[in-house]
Amino acid sequence: MPPSWQHVPMASPTEAPERTEETRIGDRLDKPWLVIVWNDPVNLMSYVTWVFKKLFGYSEAKATKLMLDVHHRGRAVVSSGAREKAEMDCYRLHAYGLWATISKSD
Amino acid sequence: MVRFKRARGNGVRVRLAEDEAELLRRLVAEMRTMLEVHISQDPVIQRLFPDAHVSSEEAADFRALTEDDLSAAKRSALETVSASLASDGRLDTTLREAEVDAWLSVLTDLRLAIGARLEVTEELMSADVDPQDKNAPALVTLHWLGWLQEMLLEAAG
Repeated sequence: MPPSWQHVPMASPTEAPERTEETRIGDRLDKPWLVIVWNDPVNLMSYVTWVFKKLFGYSEAKATKLMLDVHHRGRAVVSSGAREKAEMDCYRLHAYGLWATISKSD
Repeated sequence: MVRFKRARGNGVRVRLAEDEAELLRRLVAEMRTMLEVHISQDPVIQRLFPDAHVSSEEAADFRALTEDDLSAAKRSALETVSASLASDGRLDTTLREAEVDAWLSVLTDLRLAIGARLEVTEELMSADVDPQDKNAPALVTLHWLGWLQEMLLEAAG
């Protein structure tokens, strides 16, 4: 039997990154934006590594290290830069199903 | 049976039994409906379209700018997979590189959707499926999709 995920009563949202309003404070400063990928229980380690290589052109070693950081530490900065670039990277990660957010560097 | 095998050039040959292909067709059709209906409070939609910013205001701005494109990209990948799955019977076809990408992202979205619906945890994902669990069929499907994805990644190199 295949699962049916339609017409099921809504559950509470799955875990989300901690919300804070502090991100706006740094806007005026010329610091880079960070693209952060968060650990999730579903995506395969091999797939996450593949996405990092595919989207950012990282080596197998670098992509694997980032994937392991995400897996063991819960999150990792996978790219950084101007806001527009960070937003585009974040969008592309979402298109491949990774859980990514962007925030201003501290 | 090996489901995915590197083909000449950059392609991957995929062979699925009729019941496997049929299950994928059904899941793809369900996902198409979910994306069309797009209930924004649904945990599945929230996982497929996550907030890009920790600030909810900025997340809403980003969402307003990108959500339609993201949905279109996901639906386009679904249509690519749907076309390669054909309409019925067993499957024996060769995927080109762009189709491999679409398969990988669709397999991911299907897994994320089941995972969000079941609220799976790492612990649950690494445990054996309990046959008594009412979610056992969905969990088995989730693992099966992951197994397919692992093999496809291996074949695609």
